Amino acid sequence: MPIHTPHFPDLLFDSAARLRRWEAALMALLADHGYRELHPSLVLREAMPEGALRFFDGDDLVSLRWDFTVALAGLLTRSFPEPPARVAYAGAVFRRPAQPWEAVERFEVGCERIQPQGEASAEADVELARLLMAIPGVLGLKSALLHLGHAALVRRPLEAEALPQDRTQAVVAALSRRAPHRVAQAMEGHPAAARITAHATALLAELDGPRTLEALDQSPYAELLRDEREHLDRALRALLPILPPRLDLRVDLADVAGLGFYTGPTLRLWAPGAQQELAAGGRYDQLFPALGKPWQAAGFCVRLSRLLDLAATRPDLFEAPR
Amino acid sequence: MSPATLLIAFPKGRLGDDLIPKLAGTPLALDPEALKSRALRIPTATTGVAVLLLKGADLPRYVAAGVASLGIVGSDTLDELDMDLLELADLGFGACRLSLCAQTGVSLAELRAKPRLRLATKFRKATEAWLAEEGLTAELVPLSSSAELAPLLGLADAIVDLVQTGGTLKAHGLVETAVLGRSSARLVAARGAYLSEPARLHALAEALIAALRE
Repeated sequence: MPIHTPHFPDLLFDSAARLRRWEAALMALLADHGYRELHPSLVLREAMPEGALRFFDGDDLVSLRWDFTVALAGLLTRSFPEPPARVAYAGAVFRRPAQPWEAVERFEVGCERIQPQGEASAEADVELARLLMAIPGVLGLKSALLHLGHAALVRRPLEAEALPQDRTQAVVAALSRRAPHRVAQAMEGHPAAARITAHATALLAELDGPRTLEALDQSPYAELLRDEREHLDRALRALLPILPPRLDLRVDLADVAGLGFYTGPTLRLWAPGAQQELAAGGRYDQLFPALGKPWQAAGFCVRLSRLLDLAATRPDLFEAPR
Repeated sequence: MSPATLLIAFPKGRLGDDLIPKLAGTPLALDPEALKSRALRIPTATTGVAVLLLKGADLPRYVAAGVASLGIVGSDTLDELDMDLLELADLGFGACRLSLCAQTGVSLAELRAKPRLRLATKFRKATEAWLAEEGLTAELVPLSSSAELAPLLGLADAIVDLVQTGGTLKAHGLVETAVLGRSSARLVAARGAYLSEPARLHALAEALIAALRE
């Protein structure tokens, strides 16, 4: 009998129906807000990362689409002289799992807000956050938690201190673990050790609601990060009054996931009790310039495979489908 | 298991023996009757919070997978396994050194000069990192316990193991020739549980830190 590996999940009736329903509902939500679908090819010929599923097409090494943002960026830069302002996507990506319980094939729905470089971006960030706030309701989640972060809160102080790459990686890894004692260990013997450790402690302070930003007062880099703080403060003031019922909004100053990619505000959607975030995104202004286009962009991706797993293991977190 | 029951993973062995008495009289005190039994899931004085007693090497996996929301484990184990979990505090107790140990009279220089150095250890990752830093190569002999016997019986030239008081080393005629790192008990948390249920977990994590930190 063949071994049925969970890494290539087959969806049975309920899960397949749920995937179809969620995908349709999310794409309808995005279309209602002006996001038009693009569908990049499932097979990519671009430079491919280690975790991609690669195979030979004749003499050419190709890979299955491993990331929608990268695939879309290729499509957009090849096909459009000026960027479409709002694009959406739905489908599967394929990546070798980092953790043993992750699937290789993952279903996603997402969107991107693209603008010419230099255009004010704060409103676009709030637009994406508002869209993400509507998603728990669309999916029938009984309650959810939206984390708002900012990649520059970690990136800029590390750049200002000109830390070498290995030390930067060690500090980021320690922050990812939310371990201030590991930050101190990583900075041992460096002239900026006290400053970076104090900054990490400030970022990891646990305060609730709008007061979370006050933790930045304790950071030696408070002045350097004044713009980022104002940006987060404005976002909070725009979002808190329109928070849907049963959605909690928290600021996560120490969010370092994807720090090499994100350049500005970050968003992560959780359900209480879920082991992994259900949607994630943020601003990544360096992606298009690296491909030769003077564009800036932000977006998010809803991880439907994780939601399907959650619906199977914790049905109590979802409303019964109507 | 009800999702309403919150599980905390405690290590069996020396670290567990150190921490369980520290919780006596606190809301997280372990049920003494259950502790006397062979049960591995022990109720605490707080309804809805139970403790799992696990082997240290298995504990991070339970927490990373979210089965246990919180756990206490030595940093040496964390460093070896490199699982995706949060490390909320250095609790300070259970402090020990990760050391290179050889038979009395054998120096570090003599070990370095060996054309084919054999090191017995269960700390493969830390040992490889130290060897790389020192520009050395060695054959690693994987052992999960009683490593002190390896140099005595010719299985290895030296061992890399945890040293707390040095009593076990002395009993086997071994001495520390180099300190590779230090370890102590850490409070760890499941990333998902801690970030998605802050109201449920933060107070409990604070209570553990208050009761256990030295």
